[in-house]
Amino acid sequence: MRGTLIFAGSSCPDLTDKICHNLGMARADAELTQFSNGETSVRILTSVREKDVFVVQSGSPKINDTIMELLIMISACKGGSANKITAVLPYFPYSRQSKKKPHRGAITARMLANLLDVAGVKHVVTVDLHASQMQGFFKCPVDNLHAEPLIARWIRRNVPRWQEAVVVSKNAGGTKRVTSLADALKLNFGMVTTDKKRGPSMASMAASMMGYPMDGIERQPVLDTAGNQVRNNSSEPESETPAAESGRSQDSRMAADAQGSPRMRANGTHSRNAANRNSPPRRSQTMLSQSSVIDELDEEHEADGLEYNDQRAHEVTHGRLVQGHIVPDDFQSPATSVADTSVPEEDPMAMSHASSFFAPQPHALGGSGDGGASSDEEDDILKDPKVEHTITLVGNVRDRTVFIVDDMIDKPGSWIAAAETVVKRGRANKVYCIATHGVFGGDCLEQMQACDCIDTIVVTNSYPIPEDRARNASKLVVLDLSFLLAEAIRRNHYGESMSPLFQHLMD
Amino acid sequence: MSAEMANEIKLISGRSHPELSEKIAKRLGIEVARTVSLNYSNQETSFTVGESVRDEDVFIVQSTATGDVNEGLMELLIMISACRTASARRITAVIPNFPYARQDKKDKSRAPISARLVANMLQTAGANHIVTVDLHASQILGFFSVPVDNLYAEPSFLRYIRENFNTEDCVIVSPDAGGAKRATSIADHLNTAFALIHKERPRPNVVGRMVLVGNVEDKIAILVDDMADTCGTLVKAAAVLKENGAKSVLALVTHGILSGNAIETLNSSVLSALVVTNTVPLGDKVQRCPKLRVIDLSPTIAEAIRRTHNGESVSYLFTHAPV
Repeated sequence: MRGTLIFAGSSCPDLTDKICHNLGMARADAELTQFSNGETSVRILTSVREKDVFVVQSGSPKINDTIMELLIMISACKGGSANKITAVLPYFPYSRQSKKKPHRGAITARMLANLLDVAGVKHVVTVDLHASQMQGFFKCPVDNLHAEPLIARWIRRNVPRWQEAVVVSKNAGGTKRVTSLADALKLNFGMVTTDKKRGPSMASMAASMMGYPMDGIERQPVLDTAGNQVRNNSSEPESETPAAESGRSQDSRMAADAQGSPRMRANGTHSRNAANRNSPPRRSQTMLSQSSVIDELDEEHEADGLEYNDQRAHEVTHGRLVQGHIVPDDFQSPATSVADTSVPEEDPMAMSHASSFFAPQPHALGGSGDGGASSDEEDDILKDPKVEHTITLVGNVRDRTVFIVDDMIDKPGSWIAAAETVVKRGRANKVYCIATHGVFGGDCLEQMQACDCIDTIVVTNSYPIPEDRARNASKLVVLDLSFLLAEAIRRNHYGESMSPLFQHLMD
Repeated sequence: MSAEMANEIKLISGRSHPELSEKIAKRLGIEVARTVSLNYSNQETSFTVGESVRDEDVFIVQSTATGDVNEGLMELLIMISACRTASARRITAVIPNFPYARQDKKDKSRAPISARLVANMLQTAGANHIVTVDLHASQILGFFSVPVDNLYAEPSFLRYIRENFNTEDCVIVSPDAGGAKRATSIADHLNTAFALIHKERPRPNVVGRMVLVGNVEDKIAILVDDMADTCGTLVKAAAVLKENGAKSVLALVTHGILSGNAIETLNSSVLSALVVTNTVPLGDKVQRCPKLRVIDLSPTIAEAIRRTHNGESVSYLFTHAPV
């Protein structure tokens, strides 16, 4: 492309080369070194005067060095009279720190947006921002590309019987991402949530709260996909009896009356013995009253004897999580009686008190648990050996392939816990862990490779994965983003619309 | 007590140089504010302030440790940003060793002026005031649109020389032409002779041929510079001074960055001592190098913080070192 220069930061020369190859041009020359005292040195070795400059930089284990290098490169190009400088950031650093934490934390993502602006960026291209609200942090235009079409296409081409698969979110915050992929592929979806286990005295209360994730968070998505659910179930041969058919249609009506409570709809669709039962509303009440702790613990045994409970267990499955792993129900809890005292309830008043600060809850530092929250804090809690958690699976995954989806894989804990839950409790037969950004902090990749419940890990090359680590991870599949980024660069340069890049390609 | 009086100094320390922060805090008779600073598993820095800074006068002390400059800088920016969002009244960044100070001009085509970038970044993060020590080039002050107090280590150096040597036996030597002003200033205050070494520098951190201008025979030659990085220049200069008949050679340097093989270079050099200030964290270098002496600059920095907070003049510190 005439008048265009593409520079690569030190984090992602390979990705940049692929982008350049797609555009039929060569990467522009720059010398990136460090002075002996650790300061970053940048030399732009080609004229940038009046050129359209693109700087590609991803993340790396030395993230702050990477950021400084990007800023200095941009600053150097600006000083060299470049016409327009676009930062291409497949992985936007600090994107998880996008909101103010309870304890006077910084909104680092916004600061970074300001820093890019100060360095001289006129446009930003990025992929799957952790929270799309971050686009508002910038003064310049931001193109937030989606890897979802790429992932969806990979699934359609590479996953056997993907039409019967279930997309699962591993935390409540990521549900939106999951429903989006589920909608694109027209698949069912489910969710895994983790709660701190209350002590034995609190068990009944925990049980009475079982309906919570469904009534509160899940209602909307379930309504969205309710059609799919009905259709999928009607294809099951055993339910194709006239009685069940009538029972189902009856239930569906009732479900609508009851404001689309997914619990009722769930019962209605699994209506093998619907004919033997009383009217649908009463059935759902029965189910509510059975949500006791005894019921939960004996779930496994009852499953064989009582078909009704088995059905319910399909929809809401509980598991016990100790040190990040699913344990059998008779497993001795490490700290059943002290669980309550050692891990106090998160009281917002106590949390804001400075005295409690030196024993901070991990999530106080990692962001809160709302919409775009990361699962980092969740991960820290999962590793605490003293605390037992209840992990809840909502949705039916039995004998299905499961896609566990989030925007990034950084720590392995929540992925492994979710995978174990869907396999050991939900009886899923295959698990794909899918994310856009494969950050793989620490020995995350190795741990996920070692986990028996995970069959495949799918990420894009937005974040560089060292070759030797990738080679040892046989489960790892890396999708190439370079075409998407190259197309975004080309369209940006020629002033064409970006919208086609967001659309799913049906093939 | 008026609302104005309630405004107090909050001293916040970055991770790069906690010892200096402790000394400053002790000097000011306050505690370093409680903070938590950590790195996520992907090495992103996270920072939270453990006590309220609302309407307080916040001073953030962050030097830049050798080899971890970017880490320290990002942490500083995040700390400033955190205090800004936590409604601090004023945020002063105390940066004894200003990072990227040497990349302050476009000396080659398309060379970045990183020092200006850092200046802009600090202001963007939310710094209202900068306190630093012996900037490599005082033009960097002009990169900021907020006030900058550039403190000098010179008064401390003068006291060190007066306390340890007979000033009549000394000659102050600048290792390069650029530092002549600094060296002549010290020579004037001590009323001693002055010499200069001219060097040709083909590339950064590489030293070419050296020529001595002035007489150092039978004198204690004191090299004066603003920073010692790989120490190549200093050691070569010391050798030149020895060849020219100096009785002994020592060096007084503000920022002891001492990167790379600096310690080994120093140990095998003819320098009798290298005197640095504690603007840069030295780690175990003092143990590894018997020639290294450290002047504590925390009284000067603490006094600058106190005066800035109380709205007093800082000029006094340019000529006097508090005891």
